[in-house]
Amino acid sequence: MLKIAFRNIFRQKRRTVLTALAMIVGFTLSSVFIGWSDGAYSDIISMFTRNRIGHIQVHRAGYLDKPSLYDVIDGYESIGEKIAGVEGVEAWTSRIYSAGLGSVGDKTMAVQIIGVDVGREVKATRFDRKITSGAVFSEAAAREAILGVGLARTLKADVGREIVLVTQGTDGAIANDLYAIIGIAESGDKATDRMACYLHIDDAQDLLVLDGRVHEIAVIAEALDRVPKITAAIEAQINDTTLEVSPWQVVAKSFYRAMQADRQGELIGRLIILLIVAIGVLNTVLMSVLERTREYGVLKAMGTKPRQIFGVVVAEVTFIALGSIVIGAMLGAGLNYLLSIYGLSLPQEFSYGGIVFQTIYAAVTVQSLAIPAVTVFVSAIFVSLFPALRAARIAPASAMRAH
Amino acid sequence: MAPVIVTEGVTRVYSDDGVPVHALRGIDLTIERGEFAALVGPSGSGKTTFLNIISGLDTPTDGKVWLNGKLLSRMSGNALSDFRRDNIGFVFQAYNLIPVLTVEENIEYVMLLQKIPKSERHERVLAILEEVGLGGMASRNPTQLSGGQQQRVAIARAMVSQPATIMADEPTANLDSKIGAELLDMMSRLNMQTEMTFIFSTHDPMVMARARRLITLKDGEIERDEVRSP
Repeated sequence: MLKIAFRNIFRQKRRTVLTALAMIVGFTLSSVFIGWSDGAYSDIISMFTRNRIGHIQVHRAGYLDKPSLYDVIDGYESIGEKIAGVEGVEAWTSRIYSAGLGSVGDKTMAVQIIGVDVGREVKATRFDRKITSGAVFSEAAAREAILGVGLARTLKADVGREIVLVTQGTDGAIANDLYAIIGIAESGDKATDRMACYLHIDDAQDLLVLDGRVHEIAVIAEALDRVPKITAAIEAQINDTTLEVSPWQVVAKSFYRAMQADRQGELIGRLIILLIVAIGVLNTVLMSVLERTREYGVLKAMGTKPRQIFGVVVAEVTFIALGSIVIGAMLGAGLNYLLSIYGLSLPQEFSYGGIVFQTIYAAVTVQSLAIPAVTVFVSAIFVSLFPALRAARIAPASAMRAH
Repeated sequence: MAPVIVTEGVTRVYSDDGVPVHALRGIDLTIERGEFAALVGPSGSGKTTFLNIISGLDTPTDGKVWLNGKLLSRMSGNALSDFRRDNIGFVFQAYNLIPVLTVEENIEYVMLLQKIPKSERHERVLAILEEVGLGGMASRNPTQLSGGQQQRVAIARAMVSQPATIMADEPTANLDSKIGAELLDMMSRLNMQTEMTFIFSTHDPMVMARARRLITLKDGEIERDEVRSP
């Protein structure tokens, strides 16, 4: 039976090519679609986590839901050392956050004061690469500030000028100080860049009267897929119920949910591809069953059971599907590989989660091959069931009268 | 001789756009083992319908058919498939070889369904190919053979599993008279050697001339049943 099914593939070569083409095109489109989407989302996540929030964050319990100047982490250096000892942790850094007013000349704006641990921030989130003009902080605090590019534009500030920051310290008193603007930073997130005023962590602690305390420890993991395990390991290592260890999906809850919702939209794309395959296969397989009615009648007359005839039709489609999947996988992986190197430049930049993209790169992932393979295979087999049933039910006496 | 086929009141009514058409009207017939019989009669007399019914390819509207002592109407679809496989060989007007299989594969097909070991299949195929005059053509494709050769392969395919009965529906209709006569002589010889029962449905005077029993059908009824001496 398998021999008949296999040789039937080469009987009507044009029809086999058409059936295979429907599957190959479906597979390749689906693979590129998923690879591109995986690549784009992976870039977005990478930009979002590696360059900004980190993969894991540690806060005082409740801080994420309701950030407060007073919810601080004590002894963050020793906690950081414990985190650094967890396997899979690449780097960590600590941060301080506060709201305030910033004035440059006669311009005043609401700002977000972000105290950064320069050495660690550079190592963890490549802070130095965000500086578009000027320089990064020196090791020791020196009353210096780096402004987000949007904030600098609004305040008409530039490197060399000074900014006055007014805020409230943890002692309840009004805190203010004058800082030299030594750099302009662009994080890639427009919302952050419109308000960010970075200070050396010691200066920020000094201004806000935090005395060696911070609001956040951001952790960079060696690999994104190991984040859940590393989160659990850090939790166990710190072993402090007053602290909360959260993976990036929790830290950036709304961003993550939006991304998940977006990915649901991919199902529509997959459905369209599934339809292309299904219609192509159904049409050609049904045609071949109709053409071979007499032959199936003869096989049944000689004692072939209906399920064996059914098997011949399904096996033929299975052979074509497997061949098409191999070809589709080569094409899909090849195209995704090329797109992962050269990317696809968009005519207009687009922003996702505040991150601006001009070029989208694909990724060669397991799911960019596995999902199309399963989709093509299942849909091809599924639509072959109807013609196969038809063939199996052929009445031999009337089938042999067919021309 | 034991009866191979027994029919009792076999009736077949088709519906043609809601109008009942009586293809067979209560046929009672007994065919003994080893007969070389021909169902003859004009077009529409019910020859092919009757052949299909006694082969288990079609079911009668009424009446009973026993083949090798088994009542066909009692058999399920799968049991009937197995029964056809083990008891009946078919020879068709249009040869109906499987085009994607070689001569050898076509002939061994039924034996494959019967799960006969490969070595035995191969031996039997080679022997029957010699018998039908096609020695050395085992690996050819059906498309490489003439009509006469294809029909020889079909006869070999029908006989190789040694069924009790060979049903041949107009086996010479697509062949020229010389090749047709050769094939009929070959089948007659095999019938004598093997005692397989041959039943033909035919218009061909050459078949009628060689048949040792002529069953003439007319309007779905047996008009004449004539046994001739060999």
